[in-house]
Amino acid sequence: MDDRANTRRPPERTPERTIETVVARLGLTLAQPLGGRLIQPVLDLMISTLARRHPDAFERMAELGEADLLVDPSDLPAAFLLHVGQKPSLRVVERSTVATARVRGAFAALLDLFEGRIDGDALFFSRDLTIEGDTELVVGMRNALDGEDFDIAEDFGSLFGPLARLPLRRPLTSLAGVLGNLHEVLLAPALRRLEQVERRLGRLEEGKR
Amino acid sequence: MTMKKAELTLGPVLFNWAPEVWRDFYFRIADEAPIETVVLGEVVCSKRTPFFAEQIPSVVERLQAAGKQVVLASPILATTERERDGVRELVSSAGDFLIEANDMGCVAQLGGRPHWIGPFVNVYNEATLAWLARRGAVSVSLAGELTEPALSALAAQATLLGCELEVQVFGRLPLAISVRCYHARAHGLHKDNCRYICNEDPDGLTVDTLDGEEFLSVNGLQTLSHTYVGLTHEIATLQGMGIRRLRLSPHTCDMVAVAALFRSLADGVLGAAEARAKVLEMVAPAKLSNGFFHDREGVIDTAAL
Amino acid sequence: MASFELICPAGTLAALRAAVDAGADSVYVGFRDETNARNFPGLNFSRKELAQGVAYAHARGKQVFVAINTYPTAGNAGAWHRAVDDAADNGADAVILADLGLLDYAARSRPKLRLHLSVQASAANPEAIGLYRDAFGVRRVVLPRVLTINDIAKLTSEIDIDTEVFVFGGMCPMAEGRCSLSSYATGRSPNRNGVCSPASHVRYETRGSKLVSRLGAFTINTFDEEEPAGYPTLCKGRFTTHDKASYLFEEPTSLNALHLLPDLKAAGVKALKIEGRQRGKAYIAEVVSACRLALDRFDRGLPYDATVLDRVTEGGKDTAGAYGRAWR
Repeated sequence: MDDRANTRRPPERTPERTIETVVARLGLTLAQPLGGRLIQPVLDLMISTLARRHPDAFERMAELGEADLLVDPSDLPAAFLLHVGQKPSLRVVERSTVATARVRGAFAALLDLFEGRIDGDALFFSRDLTIEGDTELVVGMRNALDGEDFDIAEDFGSLFGPLARLPLRRPLTSLAGVLGNLHEVLLAPALRRLEQVERRLGRLEEGKR
Repeated sequence: MTMKKAELTLGPVLFNWAPEVWRDFYFRIADEAPIETVVLGEVVCSKRTPFFAEQIPSVVERLQAAGKQVVLASPILATTERERDGVRELVSSAGDFLIEANDMGCVAQLGGRPHWIGPFVNVYNEATLAWLARRGAVSVSLAGELTEPALSALAAQATLLGCELEVQVFGRLPLAISVRCYHARAHGLHKDNCRYICNEDPDGLTVDTLDGEEFLSVNGLQTLSHTYVGLTHEIATLQGMGIRRLRLSPHTCDMVAVAALFRSLADGVLGAAEARAKVLEMVAPAKLSNGFFHDREGVIDTAAL
Repeated sequence: MASFELICPAGTLAALRAAVDAGADSVYVGFRDETNARNFPGLNFSRKELAQGVAYAHARGKQVFVAINTYPTAGNAGAWHRAVDDAADNGADAVILADLGLLDYAARSRPKLRLHLSVQASAANPEAIGLYRDAFGVRRVVLPRVLTINDIAKLTSEIDIDTEVFVFGGMCPMAEGRCSLSSYATGRSPNRNGVCSPASHVRYETRGSKLVSRLGAFTINTFDEEEPAGYPTLCKGRFTTHDKASYLFEEPTSLNALHLLPDLKAAGVKALKIEGRQRGKAYIAEVVSACRLALDRFDRGLPYDATVLDRVTEGGKDTAGAYGRAWR
């Protein structure tokens, strides 16, 4: 056989992606004790913003039918559940959540994939990405996203304008950055009264029981 | 509507049989099998052609003496100079014999003269069928992956065109052709030095999945199904559409018995369930399939579900 | 003058822009339905997107071809006829067809439309190609990937229409357009449905430390933990013959014929085609740029790096495929 085998090479990581991964990990760690109450409105806002800015991609996603894709960043404490169909949504979930399909890989790689900066097939061939469940959903999602020029900095920059001044090298260029920074913003007014907030939430929980 | 009597066609032997086995097989078909037409020729690998060349005259003579129509098949793939010469020679020397064209190069060389189209020319729709019929195709043997609705639409068009259609009802189904020899590859050999190793497997070399499940059969450059197509329950439907020709693809099992069985089935003498049981017995331990007809995976046998 | 025209794939408008920007001379695309051989979920062009893509390419002096290269379904050819009409009406520079009936339709109803013969027609000799030219006025043939360089040279000398050959990308070991392996296992075929080993029938399973890829009811391959994986395209799976497991049909490789540019030029080949409308725009941009660079250097008589694309090949391997006799 005249084929030349190549050694596997891990995808290159930019410093930005490393920072974003750290920030996202921090954000999710902070968010966990609070449940979805604080993070969910942000995720909702992100999805509706993307839907408005990229109608073609969302039209393609809608064609995939009603399904749940578990996006599982192997280096973050939690995963994201993306619901596609007529009413797309994004939620933070446990990584054990059952879904139609699951994509697992480093958070930075997943972000690159989302923005179409990296070849998903190559990631899969090199085993840096694993896929479980409905392969057609994963391929369909990849194609729907790849057809658009997503750029998280641009897509979300307008949402969180003031944050662009925060001292990260590329502060709003990724979902991670957005998530991390949003926590600061959303929590900022409440940070001083965090204890109160938590107590109030606790009382609400008790009230439900 | 009066239904025309079904006719059985014996497709070309696809495998590399020893020349005398090949000859004796056809002698017996001539003498004993209730078959109307026999398609002759090496369609898979041009390297095998010389082996059969000297047997062909006696086989043709015996078949014709028995009242069988003989049709000469062109190769599936003709890329080299030698293979193209082979097709040219076939077309120029066929005389009164009809040729079954298995690639568009052969169709081109036939000009407008009457011919058959073999199952390796893609005929998926009415417009293609009409175009070929206008160029002299009088009978078209359809590819195995066509579904019942497609066959039905094609049959309606064929009736208008006065062109006969044929469907393979028995035998492993050809699925792919290549210039790479998988038999040689399986033995660690190169095609140019293949030692004609495909002669070890007169019904094809079994290809298993890694789970040990029988999946495909390799025949030199050709890949076939491991299952045998067995359209026993579908024959009445085919006849109802007006598809008159039923193709049997030769294997080492008793093809005279296979022919007799499908003859009885087509004539309504034998029931489909009984026929199926007998066919299943003949091809064992291999299984039957009819999935394509039912718009399913080709490997499936709907009668066994 | 450039030695070759570079023909590049695009599954989306973003990929088309990436291909044009990276140096494609022409981009080939398909509509978002079963009329083309890359009918994958979420992929391909709406009519509006085709018009936008054509505008983008034409503004930069580049061309767009529309592949309508599946075989129309009996009793239901309307979608294929509309595809031909809409390609012509939206300014496509050529349509790439495979089916005789559809070629006949296009030649009669759109006499000004430039017709290319798809690789899916498997026209592998001058006699066949001559027939398509005479009957339908076909101007270019995409040669099946079953020919050696010598076959191609001989063939090109005998025909008087352009030849286009694949230079990089996924490759079929089987004669294209004449393969039912996919539908045997899944019920869905390249010819009828525009898909081979479709994702809808693909499952990845973990068995112990092994990754198992399945197509329909069949195991196509298993991979050890550190082994590069492949998509379970049926003919690139691992199977067992004589109790020995092997890549019987083809290894999970990509075709890379960049090192054969001098031979392809000597053989009279007019256009080089990159496979992969299903691949992402990052891949398209990388492959097209690399090929453009190689072609430009080749045209100027400079040495070029034929291994530059090794990183993106499937399974990390490449092959010259049928262009070399040893492949057989």
